[in-house]
Amino acid sequence: MSTETDHILVVEDLVVHYGERKVLNGINLSIRRGETFVILGGSGGGKSTLLRNLVGLMRPTSGRILFDGEDFTAMDDVERIEIRKKMGMCFQGSALFNSMSLEDNVALPLREHTQLEPSTIDIMTKIKLELVGLGGYEEFLPSAISGGMKKRAGLARAMAMDPEIIFYDEPSAGLDPIVAAGIDMLIRRMQSTFNMTSVVVTHEMASVDLIADTVCMLKLGEVEAIGSPEELRQCDKEFVRQFFERRAEEDDNDDQQAFIESLTE
Amino acid sequence: MAETANPAAQQSTSLFVIFFGTVGRMTLNALYPFAQVAAMIVDTLNWVFIKPFGGHGLRVRAAVREYVQFGYRSLPIVGLICFLLGAILALQTAYQLERFGATRLIATLVGVAAMRELAPLMTAILLTGRSGSAITAEIGTMKVSEEIDALHVMGINPTKYLIVPKFIAMVLAFPCVTILATAIMILGGMSIGVFYVGIAPNVYLNVTAQALSWSDFLSGMTKSVFYGVVVCWVGVYRGFQVTGGAEGVGRMTTSSVVTSIFLIILVDLVFTIMFVVPA
Repeated sequence: MSTETDHILVVEDLVVHYGERKVLNGINLSIRRGETFVILGGSGGGKSTLLRNLVGLMRPTSGRILFDGEDFTAMDDVERIEIRKKMGMCFQGSALFNSMSLEDNVALPLREHTQLEPSTIDIMTKIKLELVGLGGYEEFLPSAISGGMKKRAGLARAMAMDPEIIFYDEPSAGLDPIVAAGIDMLIRRMQSTFNMTSVVVTHEMASVDLIADTVCMLKLGEVEAIGSPEELRQCDKEFVRQFFERRAEEDDNDDQQAFIESLTE
Repeated sequence: MAETANPAAQQSTSLFVIFFGTVGRMTLNALYPFAQVAAMIVDTLNWVFIKPFGGHGLRVRAAVREYVQFGYRSLPIVGLICFLLGAILALQTAYQLERFGATRLIATLVGVAAMRELAPLMTAILLTGRSGSAITAEIGTMKVSEEIDALHVMGINPTKYLIVPKFIAMVLAFPCVTILATAIMILGGMSIGVFYVGIAPNVYLNVTAQALSWSDFLSGMTKSVFYGVVVCWVGVYRGFQVTGGAEGVGRMTTSSVVTSIFLIILVDLVFTIMFVVPA
């Protein structure tokens, strides 16, 4: 394990099934401490499944996930709680608790996991919300703020316990380009300020250049390519090039006559 | 775990394997819900009775909040329905008993029926519609919007955080509301006995008091505690079963109410047999 100390997260031969269907087929990757690791792939490529396994929301069929050299997949629920205190996650739909104010949302992990004084928790909560640009919104309910602000609040909550690693599930999905770019900047800033490892699942090519140190490309449950954005840009694999150049699947659609025939059949 | 998910097992086409495979899968699928419910029950009881002594706190404030919601806030509707039911019961019996000149027995009948059977049952059915459905809808919506996943990732146990306060609130609220419901139902019967039949109020109350025994009270209370347990667990279980979006929440909420009412009647039957047959 000594060679893996600079790797915070190592995935070995991860295989995952949904019922009888194999969704991930032998994934191997390692994430260095402090880097921003982007998992890229098309819809149905298995990237959300991979993320759910990394944070322990699913148990894999086989394979191992090592967090700081410890086998996360083999742990029971009590041991996992200790590891999870070092993790934060931003959900696609932000997953804020709708019945609680933003302040209570961010304070929840602190109240549950620490013995801190309420006044200390108040201050820490305010700092986290300031950090994501939501100072002054403490008393707002999630239903009263915009989608971009919810994402920011989700990030503040994920940051509450000062995690070592933070996972983002489609951080810019459903946001306009300006707000999405703002979220990307925020991810970058968190990483550079706190030297926090970030794992970002996305299909937004625009985000990749802005935030990624390493990109891992998934195709049909397998790692298609892995490397820095520049390396992938020069990769000659068809799927990778298609993705980077935003080209559709090449099929008979070029032939208009055949396309019309296929519709009228 | 690896074996169940392995599609390689399907490769073999021998009839023997297909037959036993199908039977096995059907059995497992049929038993799976029971295993899930059992696991949930054990987990809840563990977090209510054992874990708090190991340094894991109970969320008392949340339980009180839920108790106010399930119990106190349901009093107006439960009270109204039970008053009317008591009156209806008295009217129906008065109509029969007048022919025998035994109208004083109205008090006996309404009192015993309310305490042993009707008040616990009506309370349970009303609270199922009011609180059981609310539990399912709340947990279902949280599941759909990934809030349950968020709890898991934050290292917060959903059983401790969500189920236990509801469980405590339900188990306490049901008997408390039932006691009041019984009193109000007797009052409803008395209103008919006094104003329609013409029994003196003190006579009505005396006859009621003579008719009721501690065993009637205990039988009603025991039932209501178990109704509370059933409504809570069915609500929670159906909530966690929600998949899909708003439609899934609606479907499971309906299912939660139907299942709860069915199980309440079943529990009622079992306890009635237990309490009545030995006597």
